[in-house]
Amino acid sequence: MTNSPLPSAKPDPSADRIKVKVVGIGGAGSNVLDRLVLDEAVEVDLVSCNTDVQSLASSVASQKVQLGRTLTRGLGAGGDPEIGFAAAEEAAAEISTAIEGTPLVFIVAGLGGGTGSGAAPLVAKLARERGSLVLACVTLPFSFEGRRRREQAAESLRAIQTYADAVICFENDRMGEIVLPTAGVHDAFGRTDQIIGQCVRSVIDLVQRRGLIRLGFDDLLSALRNHDSRCLFGYAEASGHDRASLAADEALRSPLMDGGTLLPRVAHVLVNITGGADLTLAEIQSLMQALHHRIADNAQVLFGATVDSRFNGRLGVTVIGSLPAGAFPREEAKPPSSGQMTAAVAPAPGASRPATVAPRAAPLEPPRAPERFSPPAPAPARSDSTRPAPTRAPATPPEPPPAPEPVYRGRFERSEPTIVDGEDLDVPAFLRKGLKK
Amino acid sequence: MAKNPIIVGLEIGTTMVCVVVAEAAPSDETRILCVGQADSRGVRKGEIVDFDAAHEALRDAIADAESKSDVTIRSAYVGITGGHVTSLNNRGVVHLPGERNEISDEDVAEVKLRAGEVSIPTNNAFLHNFIQQYRVDGRDGVMNPVGMLGHKIEADYHIVHGVRNRIQNTIRLVREVPLEVDDVVFSGLASALAVLDREQRERGALVIDIGGGTTDYVIYRDGAVHDSGCIAVGGDHITNDISMGLRVPMARAERLKIEEGGAVLGTCLPDEKIHLRGEPGFAARDIEREMLHQVIHYRLREIFELLKKRFDDERHLDYLGAGVVLTGGSSQIPGIQHLAEDVFGIPVQPAQTPPLSGLTSALANPQISTALGLVEYARLVQDEHPSEGFWQRMKHRFNRALGSR
Repeated sequence: MTNSPLPSAKPDPSADRIKVKVVGIGGAGSNVLDRLVLDEAVEVDLVSCNTDVQSLASSVASQKVQLGRTLTRGLGAGGDPEIGFAAAEEAAAEISTAIEGTPLVFIVAGLGGGTGSGAAPLVAKLARERGSLVLACVTLPFSFEGRRRREQAAESLRAIQTYADAVICFENDRMGEIVLPTAGVHDAFGRTDQIIGQCVRSVIDLVQRRGLIRLGFDDLLSALRNHDSRCLFGYAEASGHDRASLAADEALRSPLMDGGTLLPRVAHVLVNITGGADLTLAEIQSLMQALHHRIADNAQVLFGATVDSRFNGRLGVTVIGSLPAGAFPREEAKPPSSGQMTAAVAPAPGASRPATVAPRAAPLEPPRAPERFSPPAPAPARSDSTRPAPTRAPATPPEPPPAPEPVYRGRFERSEPTIVDGEDLDVPAFLRKGLKK
Repeated sequence: MAKNPIIVGLEIGTTMVCVVVAEAAPSDETRILCVGQADSRGVRKGEIVDFDAAHEALRDAIADAESKSDVTIRSAYVGITGGHVTSLNNRGVVHLPGERNEISDEDVAEVKLRAGEVSIPTNNAFLHNFIQQYRVDGRDGVMNPVGMLGHKIEADYHIVHGVRNRIQNTIRLVREVPLEVDDVVFSGLASALAVLDREQRERGALVIDIGGGTTDYVIYRDGAVHDSGCIAVGGDHITNDISMGLRVPMARAERLKIEEGGAVLGTCLPDEKIHLRGEPGFAARDIEREMLHQVIHYRLREIFELLKKRFDDERHLDYLGAGVVLTGGSSQIPGIQHLAEDVFGIPVQPAQTPPLSGLTSALANPQISTALGLVEYARLVQDEHPSEGFWQRMKHRFNRALGSR
C-alpha cells in the first residue's frame, strides 16, 4: 500500500522548483506570514492583503496589496465581511497580478472578522481563475467571540470551500489544549500562528523538497482531495535513541488529530519523515509500524522520506490524513465549549473538476530541486518551562534538550525525572551544589 | 465492634502504606481506633510504578488495620500525591442585572460556577476546589454574600488538579483490594488538616509534609487554602544522595539517615567518625559525620529553597502568622527546623498531635499525619453536607473529584 516512487536522481537547479505563493489576508493572515519569516521556514513569496494600512505597513511580506483603497481608505473592515469583500473586489486586479503565474497559492486567513472572512473567498476565486491550485489554511474564531463572528466564519468557510482545492481549518478554541492555561495571551496567539505556519510549511516542504522517497503535490492532493472529506494534521520532532517512536507517538497524539482517536477512520494518510544523514531504515520501519498499528488496514498510506543535513540527530514526522465524509461532526454543530480543534479539510471541489487538474500536472512536475530545508525554529521561550504542557502542540518542535550529562541518578535511574527550573532534582543536591568530596 | 460509622483514611506512600481507622462518635468527636501500617513497595515519588507489589503492600496494611481494630474496612478516603498535582487560584465574577442589588442564592451559585470554570489540561482532572473568599463590589473578605446589597460579586477559588490517569491508578489499586473509594484527597491538604488547628489556619500557616517520595505543601491564609502543590522530591532522595555520596548500599544509607542523620552543619566534632560495621559484601569502614550531614543538608535546603521561590512571588510568607509546620517522615531528621527557619526566616515548628481521641500515642508520629488528615477531611465533608445521604454524598464528591463535569 505504501506508495514510494523512486528518488529522482537528477540534481536540479533550484529555479525549477514549484513556485508557491502564500497569501495572508487580514490581520491574522499577516501574523502567520510574519511567523513564517521569523522562523525562516520556507523560501516562498509572501503576499499580504489587508484593508488596514498600518498593519500592512508593518508586514514583512515582499508583496503588499491594499484592499479597499477608496472604500475603507486605509482603515480596517470593521468586522463586516461585506466591506471586506467589496474592498477585495476593488483591488481584484492587483491581487490577480500578484498571484499571476503561480501554480500553487496558499491562502492564510483568520475567519470571523471583516477582511479575512470577506476577502479570502474572493482571493481563492481569483487564484483559481488564474489556473492555480488553491490551498487554504484558516482559523475559526474563539467561541467567546460570539455567535455572529462564528456565523460569519462559517459562511466564509463555505464560500472558500467552493473555490479552494483543499481547506485546512483550525479552531481557535482548541488552542486551549495546546497552550498552557498560564501562558500569556501573546504567547497563546503566537503559538497558534506557529502551528498554522508549521502546517503551511510542511505542505510546502512536501511539494518543493526533493525527497529520498519522494512525495509530491500529486500525492498530497490525492491524500486531501476526497469528496466532503476532513483532514487531520500532526507534526512532531524528536531526538534521542528512540526518536522514531517518540516522534510517531507525538505526531499521532496531537490535539489536531483529536488525540489520535480518529485515526482508525482515516481513508488516506500521507506521512513524510525528515531526518539527517543518520536516519536509518530501521527507524523508518519502526515509525511506519507504529503508524500502521493506529490506522485502519484498508487506509491508503502515502509515504515519503527526506534527508536533510540540518536534521542531524533529529527526526521530524508530518502526518496528514483525510477522513471519509461523516466521520466527523461538523464544527458548526459542535458545542463551542467542547473546543474540538481539528484540522479539517473541506470538500475539495477540485474533485469535481478533475479535467482541469490533469493538464496542470505538467507545470507542477518539474524535476525536484535539492531544496534547502530550514528546520523549524525552536518554540518561543516558554513562560513556564518547569511544567511542560501535557499535550504538546503538534507543530511545535520540542525544545532542544539540554545536553544530557552522564550523571548517575541512583534509584531514580528508571523513574520519571523531577525537573524544576531545568534542574534534575534526582541528581544528588550536593553534586549540583558543587560540594566536592 | 464499633457501633458508630467508621471512617478510614488510607495513604499509599512511597515508604509506607498507612491506614487510620476512626470512629465518628456522635458527640462531634473522632475516635481513632487503630493505625495499620505496612512497608510500601512498588511506589516511587508518591506514584504507583509496580501495581502488583503495591497491591500486596496495600493488602498487608489493610489486614494489619483490620486485625488491630477488629473492624471490617469497606471503604476509605484515599490520599493522592505526585509531581503532577498542581494548583491555581481563579476568580469568578458575576454582575447583578439592572435594578436588582440584593444578592441571592442563585447569584452565589452562578459565581461559584464561574470561579470553578478554569481551563486545565485535558488530561487533568479536578481534585478540589475551595472557596477562599467572596468579594462584593470589590470589598474583600466577605464570607457569605447572600442577602447583601451590591452590584458585583466575585468568588476566589483555589483549585487543585492532577493528571486523571495517575489519579485513577491509585483508585484502581484500592478497588482491587477490594475497597470502595469514598473520595480522593490531595495528601498535602490532608496533612495540613491533621496538623493545623482552626486558629492556625486563620492566622496563616505553611504546612510542609516531607514524605518518602514527595514534598507536599499547603498554605493557609485567613482560614482558606491559598496555595498548594507537590515537589516530587522526598526522603528517598536523601537516602539516594547518601548512598551515592558515601558509597554505601541503599539499605545502609536509609539506616544512616534515620539513626545518624542531621540537617545542620557545624554541629559535629572535628573529624568525628561514624563506624559502619562490616556485613557480608560490605567491608567495615568509618565515614565522616560532617560529610553525612552535608549531604542531607544540601538536599533539604534545596527543597526549602525551591518552595520559598514559589512563595516569594505571591508574598505568601509575609502573611503566615502561625509560621511553618513540618510533618512527614523526613521531618524527623534532627535540625530540620533550624534549617527551615534559616531558609524561610519565620518560626518553624514540628507537627503537633492533632486533637483527636483514642490511640493518642500513635498519633505523635508525623509519618501518619496524612492518613489522620484524611479522617479529619472526612469529618469536615460530612459536616458540610449533613442533609445528603451518605452514599449520595460520596458519589457526588467522587464524581467531582474525577472531573467528570
